[in-house]
Amino acid sequence: MREQVVCKTTDLEPGEMLASYFGKQNVLICRTSDGEFYAFRNQCTHQGAPLDKGMVCGATTEESTPGDYHYCRKGEIIRCPWHGREFDIKNEGRMLANPDKKLPGFKLRIEDDEVIVYK
Amino acid sequence: MSKNQVRLVDTDIHERVQYQDILKYLDEPFKHYIENCHWIQEKHMPYTQPTVAGVDRADAVVPDGRPPATDLAFMQEQLLDDLDHEYGILTSALDPSPSSMHGWYEMATALASAYNDWQIDNWLEKDERLYGSVHINANDREGAVKEIERVGSHPKMVQVLLPIDDNMWGDPYYHPIYEACEKHNLMIGMHHNEPPVYYGKWPRYFIEWHTLIPTAHMKIITNMVFNGVFDKFPNLGLMMIEGGFTWVPHLMWKMDQQYRDLRHEVPWLKRKPSQIFKEQIRVTTQPAEELTRQEFESVVEQMGSDDILCFSTDYPHWDYDSPTRALPNMDPELKRKIFADNAKSFYPKLPNSKEGN
Ligand code: FES
Repeated sequence: MREQVVCKTTDLEPGEMLASYFGKQNVLICRTSDGEFYAFRNQCTHQGAPLDKGMVCGATTEESTPGDYHYCRKGEIIRCPWHGREFDIKNEGRMLANPDKKLPGFKLRIEDDEVIVYK
Repeated sequence: MSKNQVRLVDTDIHERVQYQDILKYLDEPFKHYIENCHWIQEKHMPYTQPTVAGVDRADAVVPDGRPPATDLAFMQEQLLDDLDHEYGILTSALDPSPSSMHGWYEMATALASAYNDWQIDNWLEKDERLYGSVHINANDREGAVKEIERVGSHPKMVQVLLPIDDNMWGDPYYHPIYEACEKHNLMIGMHHNEPPVYYGKWPRYFIEWHTLIPTAHMKIITNMVFNGVFDKFPNLGLMMIEGGFTWVPHLMWKMDQQYRDLRHEVPWLKRKPSQIFKEQIRVTTQPAEELTRQEFESVVEQMGSDDILCFSTDYPHWDYDSPTRALPNMDPELKRKIFADNAKSFYPKLPNSKEGN
């Protein structure tokens, strides 16, 4: 099994993300507002933008009705730095507008204060 | 871009000025109005910015914090060197957009001149790959012609820029501008600004406005064609910038059919509108819809010409198109035309153009 420390837990506050490497692959480590960690390929599935240059934010949700916004999920959504597509960190990196597409993910575990990505 | 070794001619790069940087090119009292009275270009949109860094790619912010595309060195690193551009055409951030001003035309004319001098000094003369657009204030027709006479012969100015908004540029009032363009081998580049009128006012949401930008391009082409600009100025070409391209077959068919019915109103047209389009109008590809190869090649076939499309990235805007990802794989010959040769043939002042340079 291949595994690698990609960062320290203290490198990321809830609602933040950073770019790191797993071997030669550029990975995106995200920490959601509940403190959990997730890892994805740091490349947008659309045209390949570096996702770490985007933003972790919330989203207007499906409960919204015309003219009436419902906004939540703060710290759980990645917005791409180019065309702004939104990916749900807690739902396998699925795109909000097209959940059939998702960001390739990596397995991840925490040991002491180390964030470890593994295959 | 390694495939087939086509070096990109990028037909839409938005360099941006910060107002303090053009002050030294502005005469008084116009400089005073910016420096001391804080003039900025009128802006209208009621919407949120489209994405996380406003209208730009978030990774295009200059490392020292300046706005995207204000710094040549960073543009070279992120775009021109990285993608190995052969040429790039600068089209500005439409801020200022002198021809869009609804008044104070002397200010608009002064801004156009200052912008041109700034563009020449800081971009065109600093990177051999970059070619430029002459800014004018078209609503001051005489001033516009004078400006074309002043900077239009600069070897790296390839077109005159006009915004698509609420002006109807085909009107005979503007024809002296096209005469000046022809004289200097300059094409017209048109890019939408705010607000191209769709509804007489803004739709409720940005997504509605942004979805229908191609209709603004269709509107102004229809206006230029039926007002006889292309028959009167047969050496003039029009580059439609940043409106996508899938609407082209529809507009050709529609204009041809209307012409057959209503020719009596526009007797100065000597050719079918679709023929005019094929000979004198070109279209940049961005923002490309996500098409399969079959869909893409079918659209090109419906245009009846593979000379029309010219690839553009729209750097540094948020809806940037990557030259390796935005369009599907295609026949290598078609690829060479779209990524390089069509633009070279269109702009007489780009090296290797048909006319030779
Ligand atoms: S590259 Fe991410 S949304 Fe287009």
